Amino acid sequence: MQHLANVSQLRAQAGEAAIEVEGLSHTYAGANGSVPALVDISLSVRKGRFVVIVGPSGCGKTSLLMMLAGLRQQTDGAILCHGQPMPKPDPERVGVIFQEASLFPWLTTLDNIEFPLSLRGTSREERRRRSQAMLSLVGLEGFGERYPHELSGGMKQRVSIARGLVQDPPVLLMDEPFAALDEQTRMTMGHELLRIWSTTRKTVVFITHSLTEAVYLADEVLVMSARPGRIIDHIEVELPRPRTYEMMATDVFGRLRDRIWQQIRKTA
Amino acid sequence: MRRPDPAAVRWMILAALLALWEVVPLTGALPELFLPSLSKTLTVLYIDRHIYFAALLVTLYEVALSMLIACGLGILIGALVGGLAMLRELLLPVFSSLYAVPIVILYPVFTAWFGIGSSSKIAFAGIYGFFPVMLSTAAGIRTIDPQFLLAARSMGATLPQQITRVIIPASLPTVFAGLRLGGALTIIGVVVAEMLTASAGIGYLVTLNRTILDSPRVFAAILAILVLSIAYYMLARALESRMVVWQSAGRRQQQSSSRGEPVAVPTPAAA
Repeated sequence: MQHLANVSQLRAQAGEAAIEVEGLSHTYAGANGSVPALVDISLSVRKGRFVVIVGPSGCGKTSLLMMLAGLRQQTDGAILCHGQPMPKPDPERVGVIFQEASLFPWLTTLDNIEFPLSLRGTSREERRRRSQAMLSLVGLEGFGERYPHELSGGMKQRVSIARGLVQDPPVLLMDEPFAALDEQTRMTMGHELLRIWSTTRKTVVFITHSLTEAVYLADEVLVMSARPGRIIDHIEVELPRPRTYEMMATDVFGRLRDRIWQQIRKTA
Repeated sequence: MRRPDPAAVRWMILAALLALWEVVPLTGALPELFLPSLSKTLTVLYIDRHIYFAALLVTLYEVALSMLIACGLGILIGALVGGLAMLRELLLPVFSSLYAVPIVILYPVFTAWFGIGSSSKIAFAGIYGFFPVMLSTAAGIRTIDPQFLLAARSMGATLPQQITRVIIPASLPTVFAGLRLGGALTIIGVVVAEMLTASAGIGYLVTLNRTILDSPRVFAAILAILVLSIAYYMLARALESRMVVWQSAGRRQQQSSSRGEPVAVPTPAAA
């Protein structure tokens, strides 16, 4: 039970945890009885860390993220975010960024970014001030009055990131945010995300099925098995920061990526 | 050669048709009973302008009220049917198949219930226009991208906020298309009803003058209805493009948009 050893190792840094998951399991009610989706997931994410969860399609990693976000309830086990459970979404604690940017097409860029603030009656001046600040953070000055259909895929994801950050939550959950982008845009966006992360120092949980993306972005990689999903490996990425594209060609990078692939292949 | 501007070509075709309308009867190729010339039609329209204006007012009044019924009931019931799975499974097949029924067969029943005055026209045209509005509203709500609602929930939107801030704006384009079609159907409904059994209205003038074989006055009424329908269509279009700025381009880009888009309304100008 290698993963349990990793978990207890993480427990050693108790008190610093942004997210703690203890014995989480999830079962779906299927046509032929119940289908286990997630089995005995325990993990701990320290504050300010960039943790990537990687696993094959359908392993339940998106479900796990939805539960961390309070968007779905698990059958069993506990989730603590900064020591508190997440019975429902709380955008002041956790920002969520989805695979499809899911911007509202009837709102301009600025109005989209302000959407979570407007739900809680923040004043108009305050909203504008914060959304403008987010817009420059993601490098989209001058695009505030555009509508989503006037933006490229990468720009939409930037807006989506700005929207996730506008309430300044300490935790950012990202569900394959760059999966729908072409490879070049994806590389650029990964780099951009690391830049934004280094200025905001959020705790990030990032889901992907790209091994390269996982190693490039992460402090730690959690590897999940095929369904029913469980955590089968926990890898510390010892590459220095800031990360550069050249690191992808190094032996360390290759070995890490290979280790993840071997783990996933075993269960597929 | 440069391709001519489609708008210019459309105006040219319209002008040519009007010119033909004037010239063909003058040549004697068609008797006046079949087609009175444009100038003759306009002349009787001018002579009888008080009669036609009064009839048009009656028709407009009936159209306005039946549109109110069609749009109000259509949006209300459409929202319920689209939003509540139980009602949807129960009612949507019923409404969808009723839409295919030629409701005009019920008009005699309406006159029995409401008399031959305006009430029966309003009730009949209201029901006639109700179906596309109701079905589009239901479709508009049912086909909202679930990702929008998930995102809204993740940002802490309550259920009322999800309805007012996401569901309503997201379904507007589809609802508007239904309103445009439903509004056009209420005009048809009122005019047809007036032609069948009535004592007033522009449709009544068509029937009245047809029975006494006064072709110019029949065509004058047709012309008035034509202008009314085109005016309605242009108004609806203008209103729609003002209300739903993001619709055309935004919808095209969301790949999922092809579902549930109601049939485009043919322009009444083609009539």
